[in-house]
Amino acid sequence: MKISMRGSITVLLTIFSISLVFLLNDEGEIRILFNLLTFAGIYGLAAIGLNVHFGLTGLLNFGHAAFMGLGAYVTILLIPHAAGREGEVVTTGLPFFIAVIIGVVSAALFGLLLGLPAIRLRGDYLAIVTIAAAEIFRLLVRDLESVTGGVYGIINFSNSLQQYRLGFIENFSSAYDLNPAQIWVAFLSWTSIFIVLLLLKRLTRSPWGRALKAVREDEDAVRALGKNAVWLKLQSFMLGAGIAGLSGVFLAFNYGTVQVSTFVPILTFYVWAIMILGGVGSLTGPIFGSIMFWVIISETNGIAELIFENADGQQIAGVRFVLVGLLIMILMIFRPSGLMGKKEELLLDVK
Amino acid sequence: MIEQFGNGLLLGIIISVASVALSLLYGVTRIVNFAHGEIIALGAIVTLFFSSPIDSRVLFLDRFSPLGNNFYLSIFFAIIFCGLFGGILELFLFRPLRKAEVGNIAVLVVTIGLSLFLRHIYLLFATGKPQNFPLELQRRETYLFFDMTPRNFRVLIAGLGVMVLIGLFLNYTKIGKAMRAVRDSNDLASVSGINSDNIILFTWVSSSMLAGLAGIFQATINDIRYNMGFLILLLIFAGTVLGGIGTSFGAMIGGLLIGIIVQVSVALPFMEGHTEAKNAVALAIMILILLFRPQGIFGEKERVS
Repeated sequence: MKISMRGSITVLLTIFSISLVFLLNDEGEIRILFNLLTFAGIYGLAAIGLNVHFGLTGLLNFGHAAFMGLGAYVTILLIPHAAGREGEVVTTGLPFFIAVIIGVVSAALFGLLLGLPAIRLRGDYLAIVTIAAAEIFRLLVRDLESVTGGVYGIINFSNSLQQYRLGFIENFSSAYDLNPAQIWVAFLSWTSIFIVLLLLKRLTRSPWGRALKAVREDEDAVRALGKNAVWLKLQSFMLGAGIAGLSGVFLAFNYGTVQVSTFVPILTFYVWAIMILGGVGSLTGPIFGSIMFWVIISETNGIAELIFENADGQQIAGVRFVLVGLLIMILMIFRPSGLMGKKEELLLDVK
Repeated sequence: MIEQFGNGLLLGIIISVASVALSLLYGVTRIVNFAHGEIIALGAIVTLFFSSPIDSRVLFLDRFSPLGNNFYLSIFFAIIFCGLFGGILELFLFRPLRKAEVGNIAVLVVTIGLSLFLRHIYLLFATGKPQNFPLELQRRETYLFFDMTPRNFRVLIAGLGVMVLIGLFLNYTKIGKAMRAVRDSNDLASVSGINSDNIILFTWVSSSMLAGLAGIFQATINDIRYNMGFLILLLIFAGTVLGGIGTSFGAMIGGLLIGIIVQVSVALPFMEGHTEAKNAVALAIMILILLFRPQGIFGEKERVS
C-alpha cells in the first residue's frame, strides 16, 4: 500500500496531539484519553456521514444534528426506557440490535423525506432548509413531551446495550480504572467506523461512487450521460443520514440520557469542524480530524484557565465554542481541504 | 387573537428590519450571512454598554460606561459602531476572500464559524444572563386595536419609518441605485463605471447598521442575550425567503408576515398547549416557499435550481 506524504503527516500530527494529553495533564491521563477517544469515535462517525453528503456529493447539509437525533430517539423509544418528568417507565421493547437497525433506517428515511423535495435546491438554499428542518425537529422533540420526555428527556435505557458487554471490555476497564459502559460504547463506535469505512471504500470505487463524484463536479454532464442525478443525490443523502443516525445512537448511549439539548445546532457545527479539519472528501480524514478536535476540546479547560481565574462551566463552554468558531473560519480560509482532503475535489462555489 | 396580532407586528418589525439588511447584503454580495444574528446582538449589547449606569454590574466592561443613561445617544453610537464593525468585516475578511476568489459555499461556512466565534465572545465578555436596558417599566395602552406599551408603539412607528427611508434611499439616491445595479449584475455595473468594491463596502456598513437597529428594537421589546440574534436568525431567513431573497421590498413584507404568523399561530386551535413550537410554523412555511416558489412572493422569476 502506498503511504502518501499527506497521510503520514496527518498520522504524526494525531500522535503528537494525543501525546499532548499526557504532557498537559498531571493525573488521570488515561481516563481523559479514553473519554476523548469515545467522543472522537462518535463524532468521527457523524463526520464520515456528513462527508458522504458534502465531500462526496457536494450537498450542503446543516441539519446533521436532526439525523443523529432521529436515529437516537427512534432507537431509544423502541427499547425499555423511562421518559419525562415523572420518569414513566416502559419495560417492554425490542432487542437493542433490532431497534438500532430501525433507528438507522428511520434516519435514512428522514433523509429521503427531507431530500425528496429539497435536493433540487441550490446549495445555499439547501443549507437554509436543512438547518430549519433541524430546528423544527428540535422544537417538535421539545413539544411532544409525552413521547420524547421533552426537556426532561429519557433515562434508564442503557441496559439494553450494556447487557451485551463483552468480557474483555470489563477486564480492560477495571485494569485502567475506566467506566466500562463508556469503553463499550467507544469500542462499538470505533468498530462501526471501521465497518462503515470499508463499506464506503468499496462504494466510492464502484461505478456508483464515481457517478456521485461526477454529480458534485458537473450535474448536467451526469444527466446528459443518462444517469438520474437527483436519485443519486438522494441515495447519498440517505446513506449519510443513516450513518449520522447510528452515531446519534452511540452519542445517546454514551451520555446515558437524551434531552432536547443533546441534539442542538452546535452539534452540527462540531461535526462540520471535524469534517473540515480532517479533510473534505477524504474517507479516513474525519477520524484523524475527530481525534485532534477532541484533544483541543478536552484541553479547553486549561485554555479557559489562562484567560479567567477559576473559570466556571459557562466560561469553559464559551471558550470552547470560540475556539471551534475560529477553527472553522481559519481552516476554511487558509486550508479548506483540511489535513487529508484534495483541493481539486472541493466544491466551494454555488452551482 | 388581536393581542397576538399586536405582538406579531412587534416581532414582525424586528424581523423585517433585519431581513431587509440580510437581503441587501445577499443581493449585492451573494453571501448568505449566518453571522447576521451576531451583528444584531452587537447592536443591543453596545447600546447596553453605552447606556448602563456606571455603578451597575451588568457588563463585564461596565465600569467604563461612557454615556451614563443617555439612551438615545447610546443608540446612535451603537448603530455607528455596528456600521464600523460591518465595514471592518468587509475590509479585513470578506474583501480578501473575494479577491482570492474563494467560493460562495466556503464563504458561507466562514460566516458560520464567525457566528459561533462572535456569539461566544459576547457570552464570555458581555452578557451571560439576559439583561434589560435601563428603562422604566411601562403600562400597556390601547392604540387603534392593539394593546402595547408606549415604548413598543414607538419602536413600531420607528421601524415603519426606517422602512420608508430605505425604500426612498434605494429608489431615489445615486448610491441606492448603484447598489441595485450591482445587485442585478456586477459586471454590467462595473462597465457603467460603478466601483463595485465601494458599493459592497457601503452595503456591508448599511446592512450592519440596520441589523444593529433591529437588535436594539428586539432588546427594547424583549431583552438582551448573547444569543438573541441566533435565536431569531432562522425567522429572519424565513422572512427574507418569503419575500424573495435579494428583494428589499419583499424582505420588508416577508419579515412582517413571518412575525405576525409566528405570534398569531399561538392562537390557532391546534396550537393550544404547544406555544413553544410556534417558530416551527414559520420555518415550515419557509421550507414550503423554498420548494414551490424559491423566488419568494415578490421575487422575479429566475432559474434557481
